[in-house]
Amino acid sequence: MYAGKFNLNNLTKLIICNVVVITPFISSNAIAAEKNWLPELPDTVQIHGFLSQALIHTSDNNFFGTTDDNISDDFRELGINGSWRIIPDLQIAMQVVWRDAGKTDEQGLRIDYGLADYRLYSSEDSLLGIKAGRVPTPLGLYNDTRDVASTRPSIFLPQSIYFDINRNSALSADGGYFYGEQNTDWGDFSFHIGTIVPRTEDPDLKNQFKKLDGDTSWVSRLNYEWRGGEVRLAITYAEFNGHFLDPIKLNEGQFQFKPLIFSAQYNAERWSLTGEYEFRGLRLNNFDVLDSDITGEGYYLQGIYKFTSYVEGMVRYDQLIWDKDDKHGDKFSANTGAPAYSRFAKDWTVGLRFKLIPGLLLSTEYHRINGTGTISRLENPPGATKQHWDLYAIMLSYDF
Amino acid sequence: MFILFIFLLSQFASAAPPVIEKQQNIVIPVINSANQQDTISRNGLSAIFKMRLLRWNDGSAVTVFVLNDDDPLHKQFCKQILNVFPHQMRRNWDKLVFSGSGQAPILVESKEEMIEKIEKTPGSVGYLNLSDLTNGIKRLDIK
Repeated sequence: MYAGKFNLNNLTKLIICNVVVITPFISSNAIAAEKNWLPELPDTVQIHGFLSQALIHTSDNNFFGTTDDNISDDFRELGINGSWRIIPDLQIAMQVVWRDAGKTDEQGLRIDYGLADYRLYSSEDSLLGIKAGRVPTPLGLYNDTRDVASTRPSIFLPQSIYFDINRNSALSADGGYFYGEQNTDWGDFSFHIGTIVPRTEDPDLKNQFKKLDGDTSWVSRLNYEWRGGEVRLAITYAEFNGHFLDPIKLNEGQFQFKPLIFSAQYNAERWSLTGEYEFRGLRLNNFDVLDSDITGEGYYLQGIYKFTSYVEGMVRYDQLIWDKDDKHGDKFSANTGAPAYSRFAKDWTVGLRFKLIPGLLLSTEYHRINGTGTISRLENPPGATKQHWDLYAIMLSYDF
Repeated sequence: MFILFIFLLSQFASAAPPVIEKQQNIVIPVINSANQQDTISRNGLSAIFKMRLLRWNDGSAVTVFVLNDDDPLHKQFCKQILNVFPHQMRRNWDKLVFSGSGQAPILVESKEEMIEKIEKTPGSVGYLNLSDLTNGIKRLDIK
């Protein structure tokens, strides 16, 4: 479906295929609120899901499919989840997803999350609970529901922080969290703190490290919201640990990724402004020729404006630098021969979104990118990349 | 003098009905009449509609009913009583639903359905105009 030249026949087939799939679900109220289209289900059980399909084209380099000088449809997501509130204090939920994103994700079906959530204490002003199983990782503002198109501000999340190459490892992990929330007159505070073992099934990671396994790691996030979300602030700190088998030396090495993310968002009725800044500490022991301990940075600034309640525009600048001590990538290039521009990515994006009917979104966006710091090595063999490139994408998504 | 008095009286008389009408059109949180609880704090009401508070004071389960995001009554309730925009509530519910930590409120198509659901579901909560109260539905006061 993705190799070869694009032609009108493919587009027609794709549109028909999507319309046929979506039509049975279309009703004026099929958004994430429970509707009785499964009348046998008690009120305590809910089923929700989402599906999306994108078309992507790039002027150079490949992103989620063979997009270079081609239009690829190799990016689609389909998810379904169920939750059961057994008693008010105990809920179990699971979400399975089928996702395809070029060579970065060909796994097909996987369990995104499967957890039990128990409230130890709850009152009008506060809440304390624990959750365990495969739990979505609380990172920044957008990670908790990153695979649901309608909860993202655009087709792709800002790659500097929400790297899609290792989307599986970032999305969720196996372990447990302690969480709480306190509502005060000065705003709502909440926290998550947990210990986990990260997942490592991302093809790009496997390609780089041959055998990568997660070790005991931990994640914490503190949130603040004022006036129901008019102002949102968050601080996230985590240590992801793993060990790998070095593909060249064939001995064991350690991997540690320590992100520290500061997030802020302001939401007015018609517009919002979001910024996140991440310090990325990355330490590799015994990998290739280098024992490296670098700190990178990623940040973005994003503005969204709702022209009407059906049309929304977005502008964003997103920047990733792998190593702050080597901002232009020249040192890395001298050491490894890889292009210097592979150590950063500076991305200007504009997007337009249309809410066609409740639950159905048509998103379009254009990226002008300098650098290849965020793209997949599997999809882009060395020597074939270009520094400055454009990305065009259109996506149709539905959730219920 | 007398004519002036009659004239002024007629002005006041014609002013009265619109004030009552306006009152009937205010939006209020409502619950099933059999609920032991009559009042709730502002934070508590917010927590209920954000699907964070799941039990009433007596321990019984809360069931939340809402109208569509675009419904004028829903918008009025969100802005005037909860002090948030509907899209903020939506974002909050989506986050719960798609991360496994919570559930969404139950959607009703119309005020009539809201009335029917609140009347027959113990522990239910929703919102209506003051004029919609029936024997089976009572106002939830914010203290």
